[in-house]
Amino acid sequence: MGNDGLRIMNNFDAIIIGTGAAGGIVACVLAEAGKHVLLLERGAALTFADVGRDDLRNQRLAVYGHNAGPDITGNPRVFVDPQGRSRIVRPYELDYHNNAACLGGGTRVYGAQAWRFHPNDFRMASKYGVPEGSSLADWPISYETLEPFYERAEWELGAAGDGASIQSEIPRKRNYPLPPVPPSPQTVALQTAARQLNWLTSPVPLLINTEGYAGRAACIECKYCVGFACPTDAKNGTQNTVIPRALATGNCHLKTSAFAEKIETDNRGIVSGVSYFVDSRRETARSKIVIVSAGAIESARLLLNSHSSLHPAGLGNEHDQVGRNLQGHLYPRAYGIAPGRVFNGIGPGVTIATIQFNHDNPGIIGGGMLADDFIKPPIDFWYDSLPPELPRWGIENKSFMRENYTRVMHVRGPVQDIPNPEGRVTVHNAVRDKWGIPVARLSGTTHPATVETAEFMRERGEEWLRASGCEKVWSAQPGLILSGRQHQAGTCRMGNDPRSSVTDEWGRVHSHDNLFVVDGSLHVTNGGFNPVLTIMALAYRSAEYIAQRV
Amino acid sequence: MNTLRAVVDCLIPPDDFPGAYDAGVCDYLERIFQTDLAAQSQFFLAGLDGIEAEALARFNKPFANLTPDQQVSTLAAIESGDVKTSWPISPSLFFEMLVNTTAEGYYSDPQQGGNRDGRSWVMTGFES
Repeated sequence: MGNDGLRIMNNFDAIIIGTGAAGGIVACVLAEAGKHVLLLERGAALTFADVGRDDLRNQRLAVYGHNAGPDITGNPRVFVDPQGRSRIVRPYELDYHNNAACLGGGTRVYGAQAWRFHPNDFRMASKYGVPEGSSLADWPISYETLEPFYERAEWELGAAGDGASIQSEIPRKRNYPLPPVPPSPQTVALQTAARQLNWLTSPVPLLINTEGYAGRAACIECKYCVGFACPTDAKNGTQNTVIPRALATGNCHLKTSAFAEKIETDNRGIVSGVSYFVDSRRETARSKIVIVSAGAIESARLLLNSHSSLHPAGLGNEHDQVGRNLQGHLYPRAYGIAPGRVFNGIGPGVTIATIQFNHDNPGIIGGGMLADDFIKPPIDFWYDSLPPELPRWGIENKSFMRENYTRVMHVRGPVQDIPNPEGRVTVHNAVRDKWGIPVARLSGTTHPATVETAEFMRERGEEWLRASGCEKVWSAQPGLILSGRQHQAGTCRMGNDPRSSVTDEWGRVHSHDNLFVVDGSLHVTNGGFNPVLTIMALAYRSAEYIAQRV
Repeated sequence: MNTLRAVVDCLIPPDDFPGAYDAGVCDYLERIFQTDLAAQSQFFLAGLDGIEAEALARFNKPFANLTPDQQVSTLAAIESGDVKTSWPISPSLFFEMLVNTTAEGYYSDPQQGGNRDGRSWVMTGFES
């Protein structure tokens, strides 16, 4: 590297680790504010062809691998099951709790559901009390505080929906910039049933261009959406919206295939930069501020691995809070056979939701949203959606696939997770990744109260399908497990008390003025909704704060 | 291989849409057990030997020569672990792998090596 490069390497205003929902937005806001930013991404910038359409190796069905990283070899984790048995897991296994590792992170291949959290999601402890053994708490900020930043995410990335349909539960000042996806035969059946049940329904808001938006094309309604990349770039992740804007300023230096090893601190314990690997080469960059946006599992892992003699337990971990409260969502799901064909081959397939049961359910803490589902390729349907008593082979199985693939209706949804401090990320010093860095060890489960809520929502799913005219209905909910997965959150929760939280309301680590965490790790609770729009809104809010201070 | 052909056709039999063999499931199995599941290929072959041994023990005939009912009862017994011969591997774990990989060969993208001409996608209505 030449002298010029060295000078740049040592003069960043900020280093951002991770290019997912949060990191991409922080990079854009800082770069457009004239700040010099180094943006590190552990994965590659994947093209549509790179991601491909492998129906056995994708982020939705990963039988033999997946399509958006991390590499299957060299990136193990340790998973401890509810019985306390630990084993090494590979990135495409469910118990790895993976999120995609590529430019854009999970947003490269997500389903792009663009829900705001409900105002009550920010005040769960005040509303419901704190169940024994849980760490349920209020957020340090309210929905009203975050509302303008939700709007900004919807408009800058491009969200499609119908604000009026959910205004009574989740108030907003401005509608979505794009109209919602059109209804399908399944939508009509579910909407008619909901009217009979007196349930509120709405189109599912999506970060998908239902019309051309910001120079990008419209959705062509293909059958491979969630788990895959978009053929027309109409699905709005950070990789095709805010990151190109950040790079266009000339202020943002993006390094892909760059894995952060450690946040560096000086001899006074002050954060001074980041060491990272590009292939096997180790580099160190200096900056005034470091922003960790690696996702709830990897962000916690990085803070824990950044220990030093002054911070023996890792950065921000003076009170043993980093990595705790790992949460995501249990997903109860219900299926039913409609009287006639409901499949019309028009993607993405997810069209209608009810937020009738997100709160105020008798005897239940929180609740959740229920929606219909994305189109499933037949092998995904075979693995996921068959009735439990159906023989798994023989002519009966084949006949079911033949007669019912186009008739099975499916509703599912994320359940408000009641956090448990024992559901957590630690690091395993004896198991290392390909660079020799201790890997994440995942242990614990969600709180048992979450399972009660999931059971309640499973019943609501069945009720909805029966009311829709389904002759036969079946359902499942996953029980008491660790709930992280793609919706992983909570491991560096924000709060006012350093003894029970890791950062303040801006994502600033309590014990380090120039170290921020900005991603789902901050979520005190994770709502009964897909969390990505909340991650984006928080990123806008933190980024504005950081831009004014660096 | 006659046994494998008969086994996959018992798992997904022909009707007016092809059975597993004609749909290319054996092509898929050959490919997957040389690639992603290469490490399990001995396990899988041991299971196929086990099916043949069960057929001989139960009916004194190779599996491929059994009646359809005899084939189904033999596979159902293996699925539930109710075997009459000595298996070097778990019969039910083998059977789960057999059923899953057969379904993959039948229902997944033709580019995976099975699902010849995408017939199962037409059968299900995924493609018209």
